[in-house]
Amino acid sequence: MKRAPFSWSMRIGLGILAVYAAVALLALVWTPHDPLSPGVGDSYLAPSAEFPLGTDRLGSDVLSRLMAGTQYNLGIALVAVSIALAVGSLLGVIAGYYGGPLDIAISRGVEVFQAFPGVLFAMLVAKAVGPGVINIILVLSFVGIPDYVRLARAEVQSRRNWPYAEAARMVGNRSWQVAFRHLLPNSTGPLLAFTSINAAFVSLVTASLGFLGLGLSPNTPEWGNMIARGQDGVMTGEWWVSFFPGLAILGMTGAFYLLGDALSDLTDPRRRR
Amino acid sequence: MTVPLLEVEGLSGAFRSPGGEMTPVLFDVGFALQPGVITAIVGETGSGKSLTALSILGIQPPNFQRSSGRILFEGRDLLALPAEEIRAIRGRRISMVFQDARAALNPVFTVGRQLADVHRLHHGGSAAAAMCRAIEALRSVAIPEPERRARQYPHEFSGGMAQRAMIAMAALVCAPRLVILDEPTTGLDVTIQAAIMELIAELVAERGLTACLITHDLGVVAETCANVVVMQSGRVVEAASTEAIFTRPRHAYTQRLLAASLLEDSAEPVPA
Amino acid sequence: MTSAAPYIVLRAEKLTKAYPVGRGRRLLALDGVDLEVAAGETLALVGESGSGKSTLARCALRLVEPSGGEVWINGRPVRPLGAMALAALYREVQMVFQDPNASLNPRMTVRQVVHEPLRLHLSMPAEKRERRAQTLMDMVGLTAAHLDRYPHELSGGQRQRVGIARALAAEPNLLILDEPTASLDVSVRGQILELLRRLQVELGLAYLFISHDLQVVRHMADRVAVMYLGGIVESGPTREIFERPLHPYTRALLSAAPVARFGAKRQRLRLAGEIPSPIDPPDACRLVGRCPLQQESCASRRPPLLNVGAGRTLACPVALA
Repeated sequence: MKRAPFSWSMRIGLGILAVYAAVALLALVWTPHDPLSPGVGDSYLAPSAEFPLGTDRLGSDVLSRLMAGTQYNLGIALVAVSIALAVGSLLGVIAGYYGGPLDIAISRGVEVFQAFPGVLFAMLVAKAVGPGVINIILVLSFVGIPDYVRLARAEVQSRRNWPYAEAARMVGNRSWQVAFRHLLPNSTGPLLAFTSINAAFVSLVTASLGFLGLGLSPNTPEWGNMIARGQDGVMTGEWWVSFFPGLAILGMTGAFYLLGDALSDLTDPRRRR
Repeated sequence: MTVPLLEVEGLSGAFRSPGGEMTPVLFDVGFALQPGVITAIVGETGSGKSLTALSILGIQPPNFQRSSGRILFEGRDLLALPAEEIRAIRGRRISMVFQDARAALNPVFTVGRQLADVHRLHHGGSAAAAMCRAIEALRSVAIPEPERRARQYPHEFSGGMAQRAMIAMAALVCAPRLVILDEPTTGLDVTIQAAIMELIAELVAERGLTACLITHDLGVVAETCANVVVMQSGRVVEAASTEAIFTRPRHAYTQRLLAASLLEDSAEPVPA
Repeated sequence: MTSAAPYIVLRAEKLTKAYPVGRGRRLLALDGVDLEVAAGETLALVGESGSGKSTLARCALRLVEPSGGEVWINGRPVRPLGAMALAALYREVQMVFQDPNASLNPRMTVRQVVHEPLRLHLSMPAEKRERRAQTLMDMVGLTAAHLDRYPHELSGGQRQRVGIARALAAEPNLLILDEPTASLDVSVRGQILELLRRLQVELGLAYLFISHDLQVVRHMADRVAVMYLGGIVESGPTREIFERPLHPYTRALLSAAPVARFGAKRQRLRLAGEIPSPIDPPDACRLVGRCPLQQESCASRRPPLLNVGAGRTLACPVALA
């Protein structure tokens, strides 16, 4: 079995995400202007040499805020999906491997949870717990967990009676070892593919919450906040304040989708070739 | 010597990898199928037996590329025919039975409906008449209660019953000259397997069919086939009458295969 | 073969497995099976799909939890064992699976596969494990170079050799071989069988050999038990069973088996129809409706498996009469 060569969608997706990551790291040490202080220039300056993406209503540099925002939007997406992946697969593997009452408890919990639309749920909880990076991360990972549970459960359940799971028991593995050391690693493909798709969703919802004022505190240079701050300008011709953060969201969401699609191609033998 | 119904001559070909490299898999394959009898193509994994059979029907995998060869059927080279003529021959003149009959049947239509559809496709006529022919065909392959069975779906059939239905379709409803059977009994229980092979032998004898049996199992061959073609790694190593193959095998590989099939101690352990 | 009191490695008594299939009905996969495997011998379980031979093996090891009966392995009852004790029991009994492709974790190298039982069962330190792994490779006809390979880099026969090495690692005295050659080419089949015979002699192993391939069974087994629809219908020394089969099912099975010999005339004993449903079977001989020897009494109760002398058992009073 040769490793399938990296597909174009995988290369493009990874390339774009690498740029975002580089920008986020760069913004830690350097931005053209202070992203947080207002009045580094006049309000609504059009893009120019000094302010390549213009300034917003408060006279902050859009480029600097965009760069700083990368840390929030990328960081929130990565941390939230990591938590959801870890907790979701843990519960899913337990439900799928052990079955019985544990499975019923976990699966019913997931179903109840999924009765609410995810975005609506995120909005309600975000409203209730208030702004803050930690809160947003917890809310978004919480919304994702049920999908991971269902996916990991299905994966493990379909493999728990496979000969290699039986063989793993025969060579002395305890049941949790069979589940986590033998079955889960063979399910990483589909889980990672879903994680990437989920990251696209999370980055979109992060921005939506920000735009609706349910996300981070209004001055935080998060892209959703930035769009909200620029929405007056859209009507009067100062398009750049909202346009560039919108573009940034589109780019990141698209990159995660491309990556997820490429990963599911890679892990689904029927779609290979 | 009768005129063969089908002749494969100098068939060679290779698989093309996604990177464009060619891996040769068939080397100058040639044999003839005599009319009215069963000819077996025997070989192990990687012998090229299935690929050869699929080539006859023109349904080889898309990454297979033929470099030379002819397949003469009723005096015409199948490999040189335009696609629509091949399609006309496929099913009507040459039909095929696959290993997993339940997978080869469409799960959303009843078995009777599928047989009737094939009948109308090849012979026309009304739906009711076609269904009668379908039930008749099921009866001919010894499926009990054919009227009731015709109304059932493939998943309601056991593996053996589904293979009977498949044979009814390929050998009776299609009414071809040649049936290609690709491992038709592999995966079936021995008692079922014996019954299916008996059925095939009966149909061939009674209806003047010609059959080509692709198999890895020399045991199945010994009782039912008239001629045997032994293939190894893409080459025909020996072709002769069944009696000659079993009593006077000439090629070392045939001898080894025979000994291994009988689990005789003369089976020299092949170095790994 | 039989000495005064052979040491019994595996014993099963009234082993039963029923699966509920809804509306209070039960699928009887295994119907009160008794079984004994003595040290160093090969007992073959023969039967077609649905006969319960695979379920029997899995129930004996509690890979599938039996619903009734008891199993002893090396004299110790298996069913009361807790999870820890059960895992430890697998030191003494191992399994070789039908499809070496599916029974090897695709993400583990041969080294990891072979080291695992040494680490978990024997708690061997790494250095000793590596030496033992190389010995095991030797024993199954592979080389130390194969240790670094992944399963997909090996041929079918080589994979099965790895499966055998894994099973032998913890030095069990019983191997359950579940159709070990069913997915292999005939020429490879012979080599694997030869290997298994050699290992049996060298290591004094007992084999419970599950197979539908009668040719293989005749070649390998000391004794044969024929299963049909969840129960044993006939058992005895291999030669006896093959040369003088008594039960109509055994006779049908043997006469249907293809032999790669020209002009090997066989007198087919045909059974009518196909194997019936194992859901809530009536208290009658399981062969009723298919059997050419059938009499009225066959349908009134299930004939017990009786000792008929010469080490044979038989569940058919009609054939005996």
